[in-house]
Amino acid sequence: MVALKLEEMLSLAEKAVNIAVKKGAGEAEAFVFQGLNSSVGIERGQIARTSLTIERGLGARIIINKAIGFSYTNVLESDDVVEDTVLRALGSAEASKPDKDWHGLPASKPVASVNGSFDHRIEELQSEDLVDIASAMLDAAEKKDKRAFPIEGGAGTACMSVAIANSNGVAVVDCGTMIECSLATIGREGGEVTPECFEFNFERRYDINPEWVGEEAARLAVSALKAKKIENKSVSVIFTQFALQQLLYFTLINAVKADYVQRNQSALKNKIGKKVASENVTVYDDGLLDGGIRTWKFDGEGVPQQRTLVLEKGVLRNFIYDNYTAKKEGKESTGNGARAGYLSTPNVDSTNFHILPGNKSAEGLISEVGEGLLVYSVQGAHSSNPASGEFSVVAAPAWKIEKGEITHAVKGAMLVGNTFQVLTDVSGLGDNERKIGQLVAPWVLVGNVKVIGK
Amino acid sequence: MKEILFKVVDAAEQKFGAEYIEVRAQKLYKTMVTLEEGRVEAVKQGIENGAALRVLVKGTWGFASVGTLDVKTLTDAVSDACKMAEAASSRRKAPIKLAQTKAFEDMVVLKPRKDPSKIPAEDKIDTALAVNDVVLGYDKRVRSCTINYLDLKGTNFFINNEGAYIEEGKLYIWLGVGAIAKQGDVFTFSREAVGTTSGYEVFDVETPEKVGQMTAKRAVEQLRAKPPKGGTFPAVLGPKVVGTFVHEAFGHLAEADLTLSGSVLSDKLGKKVGSNVVTFYDDGTIKGAFGSFKYDDEGVPAQKTLLVKDGVVVGLMHNRETAHQFNAKPTGNARAEDFRVEPIIRMRNTFIEPKDCSFEELVEDIKFGYYLKSLRGGQANLDGTFQVGIQEAYEIVNSELGEPVRNASISGNTLETLLRVDAVGKEFELWPGVCGKGQSAFICDGGAHTRVKEVLIGGSA
Repeated sequence: MVALKLEEMLSLAEKAVNIAVKKGAGEAEAFVFQGLNSSVGIERGQIARTSLTIERGLGARIIINKAIGFSYTNVLESDDVVEDTVLRALGSAEASKPDKDWHGLPASKPVASVNGSFDHRIEELQSEDLVDIASAMLDAAEKKDKRAFPIEGGAGTACMSVAIANSNGVAVVDCGTMIECSLATIGREGGEVTPECFEFNFERRYDINPEWVGEEAARLAVSALKAKKIENKSVSVIFTQFALQQLLYFTLINAVKADYVQRNQSALKNKIGKKVASENVTVYDDGLLDGGIRTWKFDGEGVPQQRTLVLEKGVLRNFIYDNYTAKKEGKESTGNGARAGYLSTPNVDSTNFHILPGNKSAEGLISEVGEGLLVYSVQGAHSSNPASGEFSVVAAPAWKIEKGEITHAVKGAMLVGNTFQVLTDVSGLGDNERKIGQLVAPWVLVGNVKVIGK
Repeated sequence: MKEILFKVVDAAEQKFGAEYIEVRAQKLYKTMVTLEEGRVEAVKQGIENGAALRVLVKGTWGFASVGTLDVKTLTDAVSDACKMAEAASSRRKAPIKLAQTKAFEDMVVLKPRKDPSKIPAEDKIDTALAVNDVVLGYDKRVRSCTINYLDLKGTNFFINNEGAYIEEGKLYIWLGVGAIAKQGDVFTFSREAVGTTSGYEVFDVETPEKVGQMTAKRAVEQLRAKPPKGGTFPAVLGPKVVGTFVHEAFGHLAEADLTLSGSVLSDKLGKKVGSNVVTFYDDGTIKGAFGSFKYDDEGVPAQKTLLVKDGVVVGLMHNRETAHQFNAKPTGNARAEDFRVEPIIRMRNTFIEPKDCSFEELVEDIKFGYYLKSLRGGQANLDGTFQVGIQEAYEIVNSELGEPVRNASISGNTLETLLRVDAVGKEFELWPGVCGKGQSAFICDGGAHTRVKEVLIGGSA
């Protein structure tokens, strides 16, 4: 399939808006997306599959008398498609019910300027290059230790483009690239199997190190062998970025979204200006972060992305807003109208959720722990109570720390607590910041986490 | 349609050197409604048409997906897929092979009593609003209610170069409800769902009244619940919880791709892993169930697959590739979420077979333990460590149900826990859900009340 050019995408979007207005829409918006993905997959120690996908489509949001209709199509070939989609969206709006809090689509604003979100070298990569990346990663893992078995992983690229137009004059385009390589391993020795261990690189620029990923995935798996059970006790815990991402995704990140706050689902409602976390904790929602996974010139509604202060030394400063939730409070959108491609309407989501790093090395953090755990990942975070922040999860893989040193892997340890209490108990931050999807954070040391091991 | 697909298959085989080629085409129409406290966020409708092309070239998979059914574009895409597979095959030690299977020619036409595509969007909004009104009207402390309604209807086309050609109608209806109650600083959360592959008549049985009540009642009751004691206790798992346990803690490990990856079941086929009352099935043939279908996405008929019989592992869930490796028969578990992705091994309707205990018999020997009635979600690891989060639980004190308990979860090692199952109840229930394994799949799980001698309970802080 021939890829659409940015100007073709924008003209499709504008065409949809024009047709909608002509057919009687009060307001109209069209979102056009195109993604070209290429990947090589590893299964059980070998390259097993390759994949090429072209995903594109148009989503039209139409408002009639404050009632919202939406329709999408992934078929963009024929001329009638745009008109059919618009007509379906009009029908949807007519079937829907008015929303008294609807105060209009966003107005046109200059887009933000961003760095490191597009790299033409990624666009130019060939399938052979991806095979080489995957092979280098596998070879490095194999060389590191025979007890580590690579179960799955791979290498892939994505090139994405977006065009948005609306009846208030918004007409914007942007494109971005991504490249990733990842390897999941387990350690096996004498009948013992470790939990899945995982390492990856995921970047917007062509800046990955497959050998490091392979080696590190193997090293983790082997160090998770010979795991022992642990006593029931409250101890210090160092959460690495994976574990932190899992715990925060369903709790803190939701709690600062304006829709959660407005709908009484956030434990942080009415807490602006109050201390809700340790003074070590400063967080920005940074839609402009250099090379950030969610860095774009504008959000899913064409509003420029920005850098919003969320927590300042533990004090809650701002919530994040899309156009609808902002206007409901008479505020401006913070550029957090996220979009699941062309398939749905926008909703509030964080861009790059950036917990600012501290100044301690990883070893330094570990050396501060008399008795505790280093938790790499947790199982079951999605079953947290999303409103209260209470969690009850399994730490896996995780390692015991005694007198400032890692001693052995632990198995079957449950951590129970409340994410908001965890934030209050943060006593140290590493200098080892990295990106895990939308979270950008260092290792975090937390005192007094309840562990149930037996 | 058939003609276009034939041309693509021919080109792949004859021009581009594919040993195996399959094309899955999809024509799909979706309707979605989201309600937040009765506010209609938007009525959404969409078309998803496209094709997935999968080839084996020199023993390596090539896959391509395009959002069109145009023969020229499909032919170009299959050519690219073959080239890329060939490039990757140079690094492969042993070629991938597929188990033999009968090539079916079939046309599966759905005849729902109430076809959701013929029901106006206004009626769907009204059904969702009725649920909303029950939830928010139940008690003042219920603060928010989110309802997500989805229906999808369409046709999947399957063709391969072994002579299979299948057209199968697809229909799914899903209504998910989430409620949050608040009292002081205590937040409780409750969710329920309706899911079916039959028709819109599901709401005649799962009425808005019934679904709304169940959701709201739990959220409110949990407000006065206390945190559980952490530690090891006897427990009775309700059908929803045991279903999730069977799905997460055992089912995933018995998906043959994960078994091959070294899951703790990898050396357990034919061996006893559970007590005598443990019998598990994964069944794709239950009429109207959310995880049922006639053919999987490799053209293999769905079936009722016995996984564990009287505590002994007797079967795994296979696609054609793993079936060949195990010298077994494909079980019809290869499923793809849509035309954008490749089929992988997925569960269908997974459950523990009922036995003969009444609920009273299950709790009668328990001095102190927990009744875990409804879950929030679960997850398992290849080493057999599982976790299931609980949204509704009660203490069992001296053989009777006691105080409600909130935010509990259970965890442990699957194999150790299966040996500790000592009694199974008689009433069978099956509940719909959505399982994530990189892709989403509509499934059911369930069974009957099940007693475990001891399991690790993780309490609140």
